[in-house]
Amino acid sequence: MKKKELSLDKDGKFDISFVLNAKELKVKISGDETLLELIRRLGYKGTKKGCDTGDCGSCTVIVNKKATLSCIIPAFLVDGCEVTTIEGIGSISNPHPIQEAFVEAGAVQCGYCVPGMIMSTKALLDENGSPSDEEIKHALDGNLCRCTGYVKQIEAVNIASKKIKK
Amino acid sequence: MPEYIEKYYTLKDLWKSVKKLPSDRKYLAGGTDLVISLSCGNDKSSVWLDISDIDRLKEIKEDGKNIFIGAAVKISELESNPLIKKWASALSECVKYYASPSIRNTATLGGNYANASPCADGVLALAALRAKVMLNLYDKRRVVDILSIVKGPKKIDLKKDELIEGFIVSKEERKSIFMKMMHRKRFGIAKAGLCMCYKLEKGKLRDVSISLSSVAPSVVRAKKTEEYLEGKNPSKAQTKACQLIREEISPLTDIRSTSDYRMRIVSVFLSRALCSI
Ligand SMILES: Cc1cc2nc3c(=O)[nH]c(=O)nc-3n(C[C@H](O)[C@H](O)[C@H](O)COP(=O)(O)OP(=O)(O)OC[C@H]3O[C@@H](n4cnc5c(N)ncnc54)[C@H](O)[C@@H]3O)c2cc1C
Ligand code: FES
Ligand code: FES
Repeated sequence: MKKKELSLDKDGKFDISFVLNAKELKVKISGDETLLELIRRLGYKGTKKGCDTGDCGSCTVIVNKKATLSCIIPAFLVDGCEVTTIEGIGSISNPHPIQEAFVEAGAVQCGYCVPGMIMSTKALLDENGSPSDEEIKHALDGNLCRCTGYVKQIEAVNIASKKIKK
Repeated sequence: MPEYIEKYYTLKDLWKSVKKLPSDRKYLAGGTDLVISLSCGNDKSSVWLDISDIDRLKEIKEDGKNIFIGAAVKISELESNPLIKKWASALSECVKYYASPSIRNTATLGGNYANASPCADGVLALAALRAKVMLNLYDKRRVVDILSIVKGPKKIDLKKDELIEGFIVSKEERKSIFMKMMHRKRFGIAKAGLCMCYKLEKGKLRDVSISLSSVAPSVVRAKKTEEYLEGKNPSKAQTKACQLIREEISPLTDIRSTSDYRMRIVSVFLSRALCSI
């Protein structure tokens, strides 16, 4: 029987195991902890909290290849899953082509929305290497940006798609 | 906060153990509604039963007459599944207007229905498709009309532990049109929505069903307008149908929109729908 039960231990915590940025982790979580709270608690502060109600997209991460809002998913649901955050995409010394493309297109101003935008872009380009502008708009629909005005992100995704294909 | 979570992979395991659990138990599918209730302090249940991985609830399949869509099917799957595109295109179309991709990857059709919101896009499409819902309680099934147990926001006539197993849509060659007015383009909660399914035979409308969202405490059908449109030429029937549909509804004014605006939107949607046929 595949059924598994997640039960509280004596400190009122659950044990879950999952893969975070290619690293296997076993962690204790509380039942009301969201994935966003968990990854930030583990030190991955690249993922931002904007609204905490699923409206802004700044907390977007990738769970089993799909763009997912970490603020509205309970942490225990990722038990056994593969999670990627912005830290798993690239670093300052070794940026991912998508990150380079966002800088080149000038799609970064204050930067708060950018980790979420990049995760949505990564999920899109992994599934569809040459998206149309309409498909890009559709994929980034849930990522709000107060600074840039949404045109440059589309440019950035187009640049990224070309860079990745090279 | 739930004290523990039971995760199930089969209905058999669920029915075997469910009665032994503390009585303040609740099903969890995608969690997009439940987690927000929890963070607002509105969810007090001590056990969550995670049904999102029960195989039967993830099925989309067909038999001779119907297609079956499991309750734990994610909204994002509705967009591209060939059976749904062919026989329940209203559901594929609603996805275009349904929140953001990241919500659609998490939220389920069953959760959308159970939440019984008057603006639920999945329910709007299911109502126009004249779908039926299959409910399961301790392995006993009942099948009822989609809107028959929906009583208002978050109010749905389910018995204790009764599970939404899935939805049944009959295989009819009907076309569909889905329209939704929101604060922001293509994202967010509807100010008003309309979904219409129909056949066109020799220029005449047949087998019309129209559902409306955000104009009553739950999604509703516009039955008088449907009856009126039967056998009519769509463009010739437009003026009268748009007047009729306004008479059928009495929407509220709330933070999202006013009653008057909602009436106008519904009639503009119907007029656009009829013009586009
Ligand atoms: C930011 C945001 C945007 C949204 N935008 C939209 C939108 O555009 N259109 C729209 O229609 N909705 C929207 N929603 C609402 C929400 O996504 C849906 O209602 C969703 O489909 C709920 O599904 P879920 O699987 O997440 O449900 P859950 O949160 O897991 O469950 C919701 C309720 O249903 C019950 N339940 C779930 N499955 C079953 C079952 N099989 N049997 C019995 N009971 C069950 C649970 O016990 C719970 O009470 C939005 C939500 C958020 C947070
Ligand atoms: S913080 Fe998650 S969507 Fe805004
Ligand atoms: S760059 Fe500031 S919010 Fe997007």
